[in-house]
Amino acid sequence: MARPRGKFLQAVLVLVVAFLIFEYGVRPPMPFSLLSLYMAITLLAVLVYVSSDSESWRAFKAPIWATLTEPGRRRRRLGLGVLLPLLVGYYAYSQATAKTEAPVELRAIHPAPPTSIAFRGKTIDLQATDTPVRKEIAQNPANRAKHLQAGGAVYIRNCVYCHGDNLDGKGHFGHGLNPAPADFTDSGTIAQLSEGFLFWRIAKGGPGLPKESTPWNSAMPAWEDRLTEEQIWQVIYYLYETTGYPPRVMDHAAVPPAPGPARVASLFGRGTDVLQPREAGAQPADLARGKSLYEAKCALCHGVSGKGDGPAAELLLPRPRDFTAGKYKIRTTASGQLPTDDDLTRVIREGMPGTSMPAWGSVIKDAKEMQALVAYVKSFAEGFKGARPELTKLPPEVKSSDASVKRGQEMFEAIECHKCHGAAGRGDPAPGSDLKDDWGTPVRPANLTKPWTFRGGPERKDVAARLGTGLMGTPMPTFIDSVEKPEDIWHLANYVRSLAPDRPSWAALLQVRAASGEVPSDPNHDFWRRIPGANFPLVGQVIADPRNFNPTADLITVRAVHTPGEVVFHLTWDDPTPSEPAKGAPKPDMIALQFPAGGLAERPYFLMGDGAKPVYLLTWTPGAGAGEATAAGIGKLTPQSGEAVQVKGQAVYDAGQYRVVLRRALRTPNQADFQFPPGEFFPIAFWAWDGSEGEEGARAAVSSWYYVRLEAPPSARQFVIPPIAVLGAVLVELGLVRWARRRGRGTV
Amino acid sequence: MPSIASMLVVALVATAALLGGAAPAAAQGGSIVGEVKVTGTPPAPKVIKVNKDNQACGDEKKIAEVMVGPGNGLANAVVSVTDAKGAKPAKKPVLDQKGCEFRPMVVVMPPGELEILNSDGVLHNIHTFSTANPSINKAQPKFKKSMTEKFDKPEVIKIQCDAHSWMLGWIVVTENPAALTDGKGAFRLENVPPGKHKVEVLHPVLGKQSKEVEVKAGQEAKVTFELAAKR
Repeated sequence: MARPRGKFLQAVLVLVVAFLIFEYGVRPPMPFSLLSLYMAITLLAVLVYVSSDSESWRAFKAPIWATLTEPGRRRRRLGLGVLLPLLVGYYAYSQATAKTEAPVELRAIHPAPPTSIAFRGKTIDLQATDTPVRKEIAQNPANRAKHLQAGGAVYIRNCVYCHGDNLDGKGHFGHGLNPAPADFTDSGTIAQLSEGFLFWRIAKGGPGLPKESTPWNSAMPAWEDRLTEEQIWQVIYYLYETTGYPPRVMDHAAVPPAPGPARVASLFGRGTDVLQPREAGAQPADLARGKSLYEAKCALCHGVSGKGDGPAAELLLPRPRDFTAGKYKIRTTASGQLPTDDDLTRVIREGMPGTSMPAWGSVIKDAKEMQALVAYVKSFAEGFKGARPELTKLPPEVKSSDASVKRGQEMFEAIECHKCHGAAGRGDPAPGSDLKDDWGTPVRPANLTKPWTFRGGPERKDVAARLGTGLMGTPMPTFIDSVEKPEDIWHLANYVRSLAPDRPSWAALLQVRAASGEVPSDPNHDFWRRIPGANFPLVGQVIADPRNFNPTADLITVRAVHTPGEVVFHLTWDDPTPSEPAKGAPKPDMIALQFPAGGLAERPYFLMGDGAKPVYLLTWTPGAGAGEATAAGIGKLTPQSGEAVQVKGQAVYDAGQYRVVLRRALRTPNQADFQFPPGEFFPIAFWAWDGSEGEEGARAAVSSWYYVRLEAPPSARQFVIPPIAVLGAVLVELGLVRWARRRGRGTV
Repeated sequence: MPSIASMLVVALVATAALLGGAAPAAAQGGSIVGEVKVTGTPPAPKVIKVNKDNQACGDEKKIAEVMVGPGNGLANAVVSVTDAKGAKPAKKPVLDQKGCEFRPMVVVMPPGELEILNSDGVLHNIHTFSTANPSINKAQPKFKKSMTEKFDKPEVIKIQCDAHSWMLGWIVVTENPAALTDGKGAFRLENVPPGKHKVEVLHPVLGKQSKEVEVKAGQEAKVTFELAAKR
């Protein structure tokens, strides 16, 4: 009896193990369609195996047969008879209520390159074995430093926003782009490509991609107008030298890529001569080690002399730290005191959210290396010699509670945090505030509703520490002795952290719900509070001139509904300063929703399309109100006028935030307009301009393309289909048992 | 016409003399009186429209980094005897924030503690720019009427309030006998030991100038400085 049962169990076990392997053992996770295909093959294989001879087939069938017919197994039969229909019913329910997801876009990541390209009136052979830069270095090794230094400067001034200081595709605009920027440290990117391929991609960018690589999505600019041929070869050299991967070489035996650890080590081993070394006298050995680390990476922003004046500095806001002043924002020490070594280590290891300072912890893993780097950074400021910084003692932690948050809010008002951070904490200072750092650069107060941009981290203890120590070099003072009771520091931190979640949840799809009845135009109407918002990231437009490295808007929250005749969008975004030309602002704020112009045939390029495929925009500007426009390329906006403008809008500006409702008929007589198709996925992108920061035209915040769909009205499907499925399953079961019994009587 | 400040100094020295110590020797000294004048055209005061905290700050602020009185007298200049030690003041020096201004605009103090008042009932912050002393940035909310800060090293320290961008002041920390010029540019230094001294005038914006002055016991030495207004 044991053996036949074993056969069935074996089969079940094989199927379960196979499922677990497919579901959890494979990275990246496989799509459901592939998983079901593999499971079907496995099931087939198992069936073939168990039915290979009649003995084994009988052994396999025996437990099933027994459950179906034997009188002694009545209880089990009943149990399964209830359980199986319930499972079927659950599956039917989950299918009927399935959430809509954005369709998956398939794209060729490494399309076949052309053999040569035209570049500024010259033909570049992409299959040449040696680049001009490598030839020069082969002739004279002394040229290496020059090219590496130039390549680093090109990288840090152009590529870093998306591809990141660590070359890992995690630049501070990286999260807002789809497809994500390439991670050069991944063995699947430049390690698999030739230098000619890279030249093609850099020179021709996203717009130069073949169709199968979705050129309309790519944020990779065509650099041919901005960089010279030599600069491109130099930055390619920098990429390979810094990551430690050798380029793929045509017509040669494939060179295996360097293994991971060697690469990480080489990141610093090789980069030491990226910039001209600082003139320095004799230094202790560990300082020399720190110096080489510093000059390999930090100097590109912070400068060789530590003054915060590296090649990238002028493009960054906040500016890179000037180490010679000894003024540090993120400390555990009292106001006026230098930071501790641990403070400096933490900032280097974890980076500073919301700034260009990345987390170096994954690169500098060795504690001694980190110590050496910290020692070198300290050597820029005289004050560190023999300094013993006095720590700020925070009162004992107070856990967050309703009472604590309430007390924190009282204190927030009593100590007038709103003067800089705004009444709702959105970083909108009182009008006329002229906030500057100690170097005279205008600075923005933190938006307390975006803790993921807090320079010193989003935890409650981080916020309490910043309140306790202040941010040296900025207008943010210490409040350690300036609250009514010491524990108020914690109440304040608890209040600040009660304003927003740790990080936003980003959407990929905007679901436009069907609404019945009147849709209000008032953006503050309760109606809009009941609709969940979809958050989309906005990043600086860094491709066309004038570029925008520090956009004000970094997130837009969109709610949308449709009625049989109309689509209504509700937009929310933060802007610390409302600018309306009629009220004296030199440039207006503006927001825009972007759709393909006309039909859905093919997608335009995400930066306002081009001559062949223009875009259609719904806009809103304070004063001027709602508008419609078409554009055939960035900055080439043609506003519609007169009767062509059908969109209507209403807006409020409140405590650092715009809320705008835009409504338009689903279909219009104008051919250039986008006609909203119910039930279909169609693309949408977003633009925002902050007039008071000089944003206008190409100088804007922009998003990638996302999907929208006008959903069908809610149906009763999920209440009808599952009971039918359960009933069907029960009937099938009853039929099966009856058939088995009749057959059992006949044969046995 | 001795000013209140100089009378205070006399009273102070008299008190110190009663208490004993080094003061009696100084009491036999002379005094230096004089004027600081501006030549050239000083920059016109900036007028700033106030658009917050109007109840405390008023509606308009006149900001004069170079404050000139009748007869081109320069106010807020610090005159000190650079080769003598100053006496310890009986009272802690005080810097007030009133009407959203630093009062006085220039504080002259020996190394040590400074009492900082907030008479306005709105949030101020003391943001200092120093090199010898720690640069601090401390909030002083409306309920914090007074706080004390230490400035141990001689230095001219610029101070500002980030909450009110027009607020500007200086703390002059000096170990020497020093006096601040009044609204007419006049100053008076008492109890300077007899002999030849180097006397220096320092204005935070117009810079320094020094002159040699001979002081005779019980007599007034006169000196006039002229600082050129930079354009």
